[in-house]
Amino acid sequence: MTTASPPTVDGADRRPPSTGHAAAAPSPVAAAAGWLVKNPLLVLLVVMVAGVQLATGSQLGWGNLRGVLLDAAVIAIVAAPVAMLVIAGYIDLSVGSTLALGGVVAGKVVQSGGSPLVAVGCALLAGAAVGVVNAVLATVFGLSSFIVTLGMLTAVRGVAQLVSPLPLSNFGEAFGFLGIGNVAGIPLPVLLAVAVLLAAGVFLTRTPAGRHVYAIGVNREAAYLSGVDVRRIPFLLFVTSGAAAGLAGAITVARLNSAPAGQLGAGFELSVITAVLLGGIALTGGEGSMVDVLVGVLFMGLLRNGLTLLGVTTFWQNVASGLALVAAIAIAAGTHAVRGRMQAREAHRPDEPAATG
Amino acid sequence: MTVSIRGLTKRYGPTLALDHVDLHIAAGEVHALLGHNGAGKSTVIKCLGGGTAPSAGSITIGGTTHDALDPRSSIAAGIAVIYQHLSLIDRLDVTENLFLGQETTTAGVFLRRADQRARAVRLLERVGLDVSPDTPVRQLTIGQRQLVEIAKALSRDARLLVLDEPSAALSPVESRRLADLVRTLKAEGIAVLYVTHLLNEVVELADRTTVLRDGRVVWSQPMAGVSKTDLVTAVSGRAHGAAVAPRPVDPDTPPALAVDHLQAPGLHDVSLVVRPGEIVGLYGLVGSGRSRLLETLFGRRPATSGTVAVDGRAVRVRRPDDALRAGLALVPGDRLRQGLFGSLSSGENTVLRVMSLTARAGWRRPRAEREVFRSTAAAFGLRPADPEVPVSRLSGGNQQKVLIARWVNDRAGTRVLLLDDPTQGVDVGARAEIYEVLRQVAAERGLAVLFASNDPDEVVALAQRCLVMRRGRVVDDLDMRDTDEEQLLDLIHSELEPS
Repeated sequence: MTTASPPTVDGADRRPPSTGHAAAAPSPVAAAAGWLVKNPLLVLLVVMVAGVQLATGSQLGWGNLRGVLLDAAVIAIVAAPVAMLVIAGYIDLSVGSTLALGGVVAGKVVQSGGSPLVAVGCALLAGAAVGVVNAVLATVFGLSSFIVTLGMLTAVRGVAQLVSPLPLSNFGEAFGFLGIGNVAGIPLPVLLAVAVLLAAGVFLTRTPAGRHVYAIGVNREAAYLSGVDVRRIPFLLFVTSGAAAGLAGAITVARLNSAPAGQLGAGFELSVITAVLLGGIALTGGEGSMVDVLVGVLFMGLLRNGLTLLGVTTFWQNVASGLALVAAIAIAAGTHAVRGRMQAREAHRPDEPAATG
Repeated sequence: MTVSIRGLTKRYGPTLALDHVDLHIAAGEVHALLGHNGAGKSTVIKCLGGGTAPSAGSITIGGTTHDALDPRSSIAAGIAVIYQHLSLIDRLDVTENLFLGQETTTAGVFLRRADQRARAVRLLERVGLDVSPDTPVRQLTIGQRQLVEIAKALSRDARLLVLDEPSAALSPVESRRLADLVRTLKAEGIAVLYVTHLLNEVVELADRTTVLRDGRVVWSQPMAGVSKTDLVTAVSGRAHGAAVAPRPVDPDTPPALAVDHLQAPGLHDVSLVVRPGEIVGLYGLVGSGRSRLLETLFGRRPATSGTVAVDGRAVRVRRPDDALRAGLALVPGDRLRQGLFGSLSSGENTVLRVMSLTARAGWRRPRAEREVFRSTAAAFGLRPADPEVPVSRLSGGNQQKVLIARWVNDRAGTRVLLLDDPTQGVDVGARAEIYEVLRQVAAERGLAVLFASNDPDEVVALAQRCLVMRRGRVVDDLDMRDTDEEQLLDLIHSELEPS
C-alpha cells in the first residue's frame, strides 16, 4: 500500500539520495544496503511480524489483522495531520480530549434523533472548533503550541464532560456501521484512514502549500522572507488536526457503542505522538512523510498485538512499547549518522567554512 | 616573547584557505593583518584561537611549538582573540564575565567574590574602562564590552592579543580610546595582531604589516616609509584604474526602483533610484543602516513614511510577500539563518517561491519546476547542477547562486534584486562568479541590482554607482568610473573622525 507519492525529482522525499551524483550507478547490494539504512523501522517491522507469525501462526490471519487495523485506523486518521504539524515545527497534544468531545457530540446528536451523517458532521465541527482555538493561540498570538495544546488537553476534556456528564450508550445499528461496518470487505474506518493518509501524502508532495509545510519546519525565518504565509498554513493544519480528532471520536463511539466522556480517548494523544515519532518524524521539524506515519502506526499496533498473541501481559506490553519508542529513535539516530558519513564520503565538494576571510 | 607562525596551511576540501603563511609578531609590536574578505584573515585568527586546526604548519609562542591549538591550549599558550562578535555573557555582570572559567575559589568550591571584584577593579582601570564591576554586561556599549574582553585577556596574562576588526562597530571616540590602549599594551610588551580594513588605522598604529591575498602572504614589511597607496596596491594586487569599468546605464532611463523620502527607525529621509540594468552599491560601516535600508524596502522592517515605486508604480510593502509581488526581492545577509532551507534539496530551495506561480489549479507542475531549476543552474553555473543534493552540502558560492536563482528566473517576475553582503563567506574564485552572475542578470534581464557591502573592493569591482551611507542617511552618490578603493576607504575613515 502506498500512501504517499513516490519521491519527485525536485526532492519531495526528505531523505537525501544515497549517491551524491547521478552518474555513479550503485551495485544492487549497495542499493539494498542503502535502502535498509534508510528504512530501519520497516525492516524491524517485517522481522517482527515474521517472528510472531512463526511463533504463533495467527498474527496474519484476517480475523486478527482486522482488529489490529481497526485500532490503527483511528490513530492513523489523527496521526496524519499531527505529523504535518510536527513537520511544520508545531505539535498538537490536545487530540485525546478532542476525540472525546467529538465522540460525545456525535453520541448526543444520534440520541436526539440526528442521522449518522449529521452526527459525523457535528463531530468534525466540534473538533475543528478546538483546532481553531489552538490555531489562534499558537499561530496568531505565537504562543508555544506545546503549552497551548497541553492546556487544551485538560480544558477540552472538561468541555466534553460538560456536554455529556453521564455516559451515553446504544446508538443503534446505522451509526454503529461507522465503527465496524465493512465496505467491500474492508472496515469503513480503515478505508477512511487510507483516504486521510493518501490525501495528506498528496497534499505534502504535490501542492506548493504542502512543500511550504517543510519549508516552515526547516527554517521559519527563511520561509517568511521567501513570501511563504507562515501563519495560515499551520493555522489550517491545527484546524485539520482538530477535525480529524473529532472524526476519530465519532468512529470510536460508534465502534464501542458507548461514549464515556471521562475515559474516551484518554492517553490517545500519546499513542498518536508515539506513532509519529516511531515513524521517524523528528520533533525538530522539517522532515517526514506519510509513509513514515503509516509505518509508525502499524509498528505500534502490530507490536502490541504480537505481544498479546505471545501471551505477554498488559504490564509488560507497556514496558515493551515504551522501550520500542526509545529504541526506534536510537536506531533512527544511528542510521542517520551512518547516512551522513556515507554521503560525506561520496560528496565531491565538502562544506565550505562559514567564513573564510 | 615572539610569536612565529610558519607554513600555516588550511585546506577546506579543494579550497586552500591558507597557503604556507608565515607571520612573525615580536613582543611589543603591533602587527597589522590586511586583506580582502576571503583573503584568509579570519582563518589565521581561527587557527590562533583554536577554532580550527591547520592542515599543516606550526605556531610557536614563547619557545613552545604547536601543530594545532584548541580553545583551551590557545588560552594556556597566552593567546587572546577578541572576535568581532564578542563572546561575553549578557546576563552576567562584568566581574563574572572577567573570571568566567577561571573563578577564584576557597577550597575549590566557594566563590571569593570580594577578591574577584577587587581584581576586576584593577583590570578595568588598566584598560581605562570607567564602569562598576557589578554592571550587567548587557548594559554596556559595544566599545565597553570590547574593553571588558581585553581586560579578560589581561587577567589571563595574554602575551598575544588578536583584535579582529576592532573598530568596525565603534564610535570615533571609542576607536580613539582603543588606539590609545593598544599603544599602552604595546609598551607593556604585549604582541598585538591587528586585523582590519581601515588603512588609516594601519598607518597610525602598526609597526609592521602583512597583506594576505587568496590565502598567501603577498606583502610583509615594516611600516617605516610605507604610504597608504602602497597598501592599497598590495591589498588589491593591481595598480590603480585596472578595474574593468562597468557599462554605464543611460541616466534618462526611468528608474526600476525609486525610493522617496523613506523614514523608518534607524533610517532618515532616504531617497534613491536604481535604473534597469544598473548595479548600485550601498557602502557603509556596520550600523550605518545599509542592511536596515534593504530590509525596510523588502518589508522585513516597517517604514514610517515615504514612498517606494517599482517600475513607476507605487507599492505598499508591509511584509516580504508584498515586496515579492511587487517585484522586489532580497537575498539576505545571513544565508544560513534567513535564506536557505538546509535539509531541503537545492532544487526545492530554488523553486520554493515559483512553485506557487507555476502551479495550475493548486497542483504543482514538476516539469515546469524542473525547467526553472535547469535553466537557472545552467545560466549561473551552479555546481553540482543536481536538483537532489541537499543545499547544505553546496559551497557558499553555490548556495548564494541558489538564493539568487530563487528570485531571478523566467517565472519569478523580479524587477529589483536587493542583496545584503552578497559574497559573505564565499571564497575568492566563487566571488568572481557571483559578480559575473549579477552583471549578467543586470545586463541580460534588465534587473536593477542594489547591494550592500562594507568591502570597498567589492564596490569597486561590481558597482556602477555607489551610495555611501552614514548613520541612517545616504550621504554621497558616487559614479564609480571616477572613484577608486582609496577614496572609498577615505570616506569610511572620515566617518570615524569626530568632525
